Amino acid sequence: MPASRRQFLKTCAVVSGVPLLGLAPRAARGDTPKKGGTLRVGFYIEAATMDPHLSGSKIDRQVYHNIYEPLVTLDTSLGIRPGLAESWSQPDPRTLVFKLRRGVKFHDGTEFNAEAAKFNFERMKSEPKSVRKGEVANIDTVEVVDAHTLKVNLKKADAALLATLTDRAGMMVSPKVVQERGAELQRNARGAGTGPFEFVEWVKDSHLVIKRNDAYWNKQGGPYLDRVRYRPIPDDVVKLQSLQSGEIDVMDYVQPRDVAAVKADKNVVVVDVPSLADFAYQLNHTRPPFNTRALRQAVAYALDIEQIVKGVWLNVGVPANGPIPPTSWAYDKSIPPIKRDLAKAKAKLAEGGQPNGFAFTLTTNNIPINIQEAEVIQAQLREAGITAKVKLVDSATLISEGNAKNFEMISYQWSGRPDPDGNIYQFFRTTPGTSLNWSGISNPQLDALLDRTREVSGQAERRKLYGEVTKLLQDELPMVFIIHPIEPKAFSPRVQGYEPIPDGMMRFKDVWLR
Amino acid sequence: MARLVLQRLAATVPVLLLVTAGVFALLHLTPGDPIDAMMAESVDAVAKASLRAELGLDRPLPLQYAAWMGRLLRGDLGRSIRNGEPVLESVSRRLRPSLQLALLAMGVSLLIAFPAGIVSAVRRNTAADRVSTTLALFGICMPNFLLALLLIFLFGVTLRWLPISGYVDPAEELVDGLRSLALPAVTLGLALAAVVTRTLRSSMLEALSEDYVRTARAKGLPEGRVIRGHVLRNALIPVVTVLGLQLGTLIGGAVITEYVFALPGVGRLVVDAVFARDYPLVQGVVLLIALGFIASNLLVDLLYGVIDPRIRHR
Repeated sequence: MPASRRQFLKTCAVVSGVPLLGLAPRAARGDTPKKGGTLRVGFYIEAATMDPHLSGSKIDRQVYHNIYEPLVTLDTSLGIRPGLAESWSQPDPRTLVFKLRRGVKFHDGTEFNAEAAKFNFERMKSEPKSVRKGEVANIDTVEVVDAHTLKVNLKKADAALLATLTDRAGMMVSPKVVQERGAELQRNARGAGTGPFEFVEWVKDSHLVIKRNDAYWNKQGGPYLDRVRYRPIPDDVVKLQSLQSGEIDVMDYVQPRDVAAVKADKNVVVVDVPSLADFAYQLNHTRPPFNTRALRQAVAYALDIEQIVKGVWLNVGVPANGPIPPTSWAYDKSIPPIKRDLAKAKAKLAEGGQPNGFAFTLTTNNIPINIQEAEVIQAQLREAGITAKVKLVDSATLISEGNAKNFEMISYQWSGRPDPDGNIYQFFRTTPGTSLNWSGISNPQLDALLDRTREVSGQAERRKLYGEVTKLLQDELPMVFIIHPIEPKAFSPRVQGYEPIPDGMMRFKDVWLR
Repeated sequence: MARLVLQRLAATVPVLLLVTAGVFALLHLTPGDPIDAMMAESVDAVAKASLRAELGLDRPLPLQYAAWMGRLLRGDLGRSIRNGEPVLESVSRRLRPSLQLALLAMGVSLLIAFPAGIVSAVRRNTAADRVSTTLALFGICMPNFLLALLLIFLFGVTLRWLPISGYVDPAEELVDGLRSLALPAVTLGLALAAVVTRTLRSSMLEALSEDYVRTARAKGLPEGRVIRGHVLRNALIPVVTVLGLQLGTLIGGAVITEYVFALPGVGRLVVDAVFARDYPLVQGVVLLIALGFIASNLLVDLLYGVIDPRIRHR
């Protein structure tokens, strides 16, 4: 429902004290954008690779969204908009036809056309080190109809594919660059993209620079900035101090603990960007104690999610009713998050055969905010007679314990996908072997519902199905959902024209410096 | 002396074998998998399996170790799993700032420790001694990260004299480079200065009570020459030992300082590599750090001979 989405964005804007439009192109003050300047951006780590087909790291995308362009793009309310494809149509559920934009050139001067797009899809599917294989697995073949028409044949109907093509899987790389210096592309993307900025240089461990593409096809608005210079600053405190003292102009993320102080600082502008993420705990359905539904429910009723969001996350986020974030069109605000009810929790304990409570191990990441959250959960569960032993691990261990289903309750933080399918299907559909379905849930009713969400294509119908899924998840509890976090980003007041898109990626096309 | 060097170099081989085999075993015993860590948000078992095969991670462990050793003997440290970069390249790039930082930190520590250590030994139990001993204690107790943040707050944020973080190579831009390394060098140097001051003070006190010092004084030598020629020189051996051991630690172990100041050093490289389970990179860096320790110990042994001729002749 669009109203709830708008409301959420509005709430974020009010909370941040910054009207979203204040940062939109052509600010309310009547300033007109001007060209020039270098934007200095601080990120927590540096990129891993410049090749979008080989990229497995979130930070890479921050750079990609300025130098590469996907076939379709997202708007601020997660709607699909034209990108390198001007329009698209779906003659039948298993065929997608893209009309590609004319007059688009890669930075190396070669033309972007249907042949180039076909080359990219085939590379994603066949390159041995491709990390995109799973995302394009549903694409059977790609045909060039004419120079600017591309036909994509799917193995089966896939309502979420367009949303997937708004990111790396839809990004187009110059075939000439790949053929001539494919191996080097990992570190040097010169000439490779079509975006508003061109790759200049990447001095590893130091900085990455991109410059304005003066030949950019879209003549509306930017790019205005001469250059963008990315720098890795791993320590949060130091990064914030760098912004406050004017060494950088943008930082990617403000820790919840710093948000209040930063918002009080007149030299910094904070924009709360609602995310697509859901932070939760997976409960292992394949072994005791959580193979008993009543015991899972006992835990859910013993938890006070609102308190966790307030006390641990300092309200930098909203309590979650399920995997779909309030920014999504599929969010059903009529379903409240599970409310704490100790009497019910005790009744469920009795129903599960553990009237005096039970003990289990909670595995979580060894980082401060996760530890705090685990301690609060421990205290809340204790009031219901449930004992949680906290086990702290590093993230590589967390992932391997999860994949091996070697846990009872384990922290799971999903960065989220623009289409609700990406937050749901792979987690809750019965899947043998290793998968993101760490909880091991296998429920025929849920499976049937999930399959239907992929077959129907009308948004209203999908939304209704996702509402049913959310209710069923609250009852079956493969996960207890905690929060949909907000990702606050901070700017120097000189920075104008930034538009927050809930995928958290910072697109600098229309950004300019006062 | 050449024999000593050769002997020492021969002795490094078993040490390096032990270190690399140990690290290899420990790393693989630790739960976690490089491909899962890299593709944490992917369910694609086929892509993961093909990537694993591509990188040779599906072979038995002893085979993987043997393959690594084989490549090493040909001078090839392999490639990083995470970004495909040759290990030697990323390590040598990271070594530069680490070495520069270590040497500068050592310089800072010597500038502080020598005057402080000498004064507090010569003027034992005076106010000067108590001040320098207290400061040394403070330097040892002060956690690195806290000192770093305080220095940043004072010199970077409040006074704005120095950059807050980041690295510029002094070999390319001398002034900016030194400015970028100043705060981290002071952070590391202060702690080291404290250790050196304490060591120097106690070994000087020991030398001061020796008979030859009394003899020198009885000969009527000026006190300055007694201290410089007889006391300080004999008190240097333990100080050089401490410095030599610390040099290795400064190169490989300045993780927190590198992290806070966003310096691309070896310490952070190895920690990041461990978290990513980037086996070849961890192996390569550890090998290099071990070599660094061996080299600095060798240097210390050679310096002993310079300071004390009796050691050289033996």
